Amino acid sequence: MESQINLEFEDLKGSNNAKIVRFVGDLDATNVEFVLDKICNLMNEGYINIVADFQKLRYVNSTGLGVLLHFNKSAKEKNGSFKIANVNENVYEIIEIIGATSLLEIFDELDEAVESLK
Amino acid sequence: MVSATIENSRTEHSTALTIVHIQGELDSSCMEKIHALCDEILAKHAPFVIAEMGGVALFSSSALGGFMGSRKRLVESGGDLVLAGLSLEIKSKLNLLGANKIFRIYSDVRSAINAYDWEYKGKAETVNLSFPSELKFVPPVRQLVSRIAQQKGYSNRDSFRIETIVDEVCNNAVEHGMQGSDRNIDITVKIDRQKIEIQVVNISNPEKIRTLREMVKPDTNLAEAAATAGKRGRGLALIKMLSNKMNIDFSGNGTSVHITRFRGD
Repeated sequence: MESQINLEFEDLKGSNNAKIVRFVGDLDATNVEFVLDKICNLMNEGYINIVADFQKLRYVNSTGLGVLLHFNKSAKEKNGSFKIANVNENVYEIIEIIGATSLLEIFDELDEAVESLK
Repeated sequence: MVSATIENSRTEHSTALTIVHIQGELDSSCMEKIHALCDEILAKHAPFVIAEMGGVALFSSSALGGFMGSRKRLVESGGDLVLAGLSLEIKSKLNLLGANKIFRIYSDVRSAINAYDWEYKGKAETVNLSFPSELKFVPPVRQLVSRIAQQKGYSNRDSFRIETIVDEVCNNAVEHGMQGSDRNIDITVKIDRQKIEIQVVNISNPEKIRTLREMVKPDTNLAEAAATAGKRGRGLALIKMLSNKMNIDFSGNGTSVHITRFRGD
């Protein structure tokens, strides 16, 4: 009965420390641990630059937002970055209400986020 | 031949509501009768009309024109004409003619009355839910409440905000209350055209109640708390910012959270 969240990973050409992660579904209290585990493992494997594609992320709650901020902090601590692209307006509003738009690196398009890594 | 009888609305509804039972074949010969019926209804100042048409075997395009003219007059008098109980065949024909874009069509009179009560009398509808105090049950509950709001004509954005409120309140109810499949969380959703009220009651956990009381003290700066929180601790701030009113009652064995959110606010 937990919410469905799928993470799809894609390598970034010409980079051995960056990956695109596509979030598909709802990110909430029932699945944050799964997401936390996957992304932290990725960072520990050396992928310290993550571009999160939210095009298919329908929903995020405060717990989900908490882990996004955690990824941002962890990536910076490793001299990397956690960038977000393609956020739908409902999800963006939640990020905005919490006051996290200034804390997270958010891009309109995936290409822009990828480009910013160079 | 059309055979129409007028039945005034029952007093528990409204004197402005008229239910008309129509049966037989509605063709061009009925135009005059439809017109006279409309005059009679307008004279009685009961311009909200539900046409119960379960017994109608034929609905010609000329009769449809007569209905459209009557509806126009009723709408101009502050009322409406809606159709109920149509056979599938006639309903399909009306859809093909595009009449469903003009008339509101209900499966039966009861549904039409409910819609009238909702639309014009501001009647609220209440849904009560109870689910085990475990996080895994929260997503279907929040999605159900969001769909209820959508069905009631709330916008997608409004419904999303309502989904978020229900999610956050229920997650808090689980986290700060007694947990387990034998401990229930009760949620009451009261919705009308203007607002939605959500009440969530859990069984208080004595070990966590002090922390919760601290969190909701009036002088707690929730926005600041949200900005400095770790992975968790932003839910209450989010609820408060998405709601128009929030009350928390610690009396009794359970913690009761009551939220009011106005539509489109």
